[in-house]
Amino acid sequence: MTAAIDIADLTLHHPGAEGGRPALSAITLSIKPGESVALLGASGAGKTTLLALCDGRLRGWRGRADVLGNALSPDRAPPKATRIDTGFIFQEFALVERSSVERNVLNGRLGRIPVLAAFFGRHSALDRTATYKAMTEAGIADLAHRRVDSLSGGQRQRVAIARCLAQEPQIILADEPVSNLDPARADDILGLITGAARARGVTSVFSSHQPELAMRFAERVIGLRDGKLQFDRPAADVSPQDIAQIYHDAGPGTPSPPQKPGLRVVT
Amino acid sequence: MRGRDSGGFTLTLLIAGAVLWAFASSDVDLARLFGSGPRIAEFLGRMWPPSPEIMSEILKGSAETLRIAILGSLGAVIASVPLGVLASETMTPGLIHRPVRTLLALIRAIPLILVAMLMVGAVGLGPLPGIIAVAFHATGMLAKFYAEAIDGVARAPIDALESAGASPLLRLRYAIWPQMAPVVARDTIFRFELNLRESLVLGVVGAGGIGFYIQTYVRSFQYDKAASVTLAVILMVVVIEGFNVALRRRFS
Repeated sequence: MTAAIDIADLTLHHPGAEGGRPALSAITLSIKPGESVALLGASGAGKTTLLALCDGRLRGWRGRADVLGNALSPDRAPPKATRIDTGFIFQEFALVERSSVERNVLNGRLGRIPVLAAFFGRHSALDRTATYKAMTEAGIADLAHRRVDSLSGGQRQRVAIARCLAQEPQIILADEPVSNLDPARADDILGLITGAARARGVTSVFSSHQPELAMRFAERVIGLRDGKLQFDRPAADVSPQDIAQIYHDAGPGTPSPPQKPGLRVVT
Repeated sequence: MRGRDSGGFTLTLLIAGAVLWAFASSDVDLARLFGSGPRIAEFLGRMWPPSPEIMSEILKGSAETLRIAILGSLGAVIASVPLGVLASETMTPGLIHRPVRTLLALIRAIPLILVAMLMVGAVGLGPLPGIIAVAFHATGMLAKFYAEAIDGVARAPIDALESAGASPLLRLRYAIWPQMAPVVARDTIFRFELNLRESLVLGVVGAGGIGFYIQTYVRSFQYDKAASVTLAVILMVVVIEGFNVALRRRFS
């Protein structure tokens, strides 16, 4: 079976930082269709960069990156079909503030219908059905006609999730979906995202800096530190040493001290 | 800071020199200004009371000025939509938007009255050269405003729609347009107000509108009628201003 995401020896410098430490350094990983994966790491570990790259939005990297069997190019945007099949839930939601909730969710369908029909807002019954299904699943169907700039932060996030679900992607990528939420809300949101992916049989990858949530909501956890892959194993097998390895506070570039078994990490 | 002080001193000298140079001409004579007091008083006296007889001319001239402003603004909007897109940094590469921006700056640099004089020469007297002149002149500013409105929108929703597979046209329609619409409405109203104010004087060079009557009455020494037209112009400006303040409040 073709891997959902297959990355080999991938290195990326952020524009203007070519001389410094790469944002991603020789990453190799493969994610199977339908897998539920968490990218775990501190701020600046490269989680967002890796997700954006899988979404086809970054240029100028070296290595190989195949998404759903199609090779991404480091020089140009991926074809429309690939962009439709990778859905992205942005950390800052990236909604059109002055448009309605329904319009924002319908925007997830724009790649799927003819340009002229879409331009004049002539969405098919299929589009409308997918949109209402996604809004209902995200719990915002009753807000359909509200303008996004009148919503709370939590409601906006659900609009962002609904837009991604309406897109009906094969891979759902979620960038730090719960970084600013209290524990109960974080459970709701991660449950919604991973549950929706499981119900559709699609791949999901979310990034987080909270080991406990990563291990509870994903089948597999990939640990990143300073742009390097530190570990990659089933959630049940992630050890306290793994966690310590990505969070102990040695500065970048300094050699890692020997790991003490059973080291506890407070996050 | 010593360097800054000496720079300020040089600048002061330069400004003082420029003012003295402007006075140092045989034509500018302060004695003549003070001596012309009675003349000015007489002139103002002949403007009073404003003539009430020319209501129909005022209405005709005002209506023509309004038409010039409306059609000139419409022409400017039509030209500014494509030019604004071309002048936008987010929509076109530097090879396109830089020369287009330069062109717009050149258009803005030509005063409206000068464009109007040239257009009178090109198409003859009447409101038509006025309309063309207003459309041309206003496009220089309006297309720049539209380009800035496009460039001023938040980037993230555009990226999100691109990520969802939306084509550039659909990103313009559903991510850029909803964000820029209120700015475009505000800028267009602002430019319409300027067009109306500026086209009040177009008649002086024969390009139609109420300005024609000011020129006619001043040249034929009918100062009471000129005063009526001037009052009408002031009234129009105040009304436009009030109207626009009310409109702009809706779009802020």
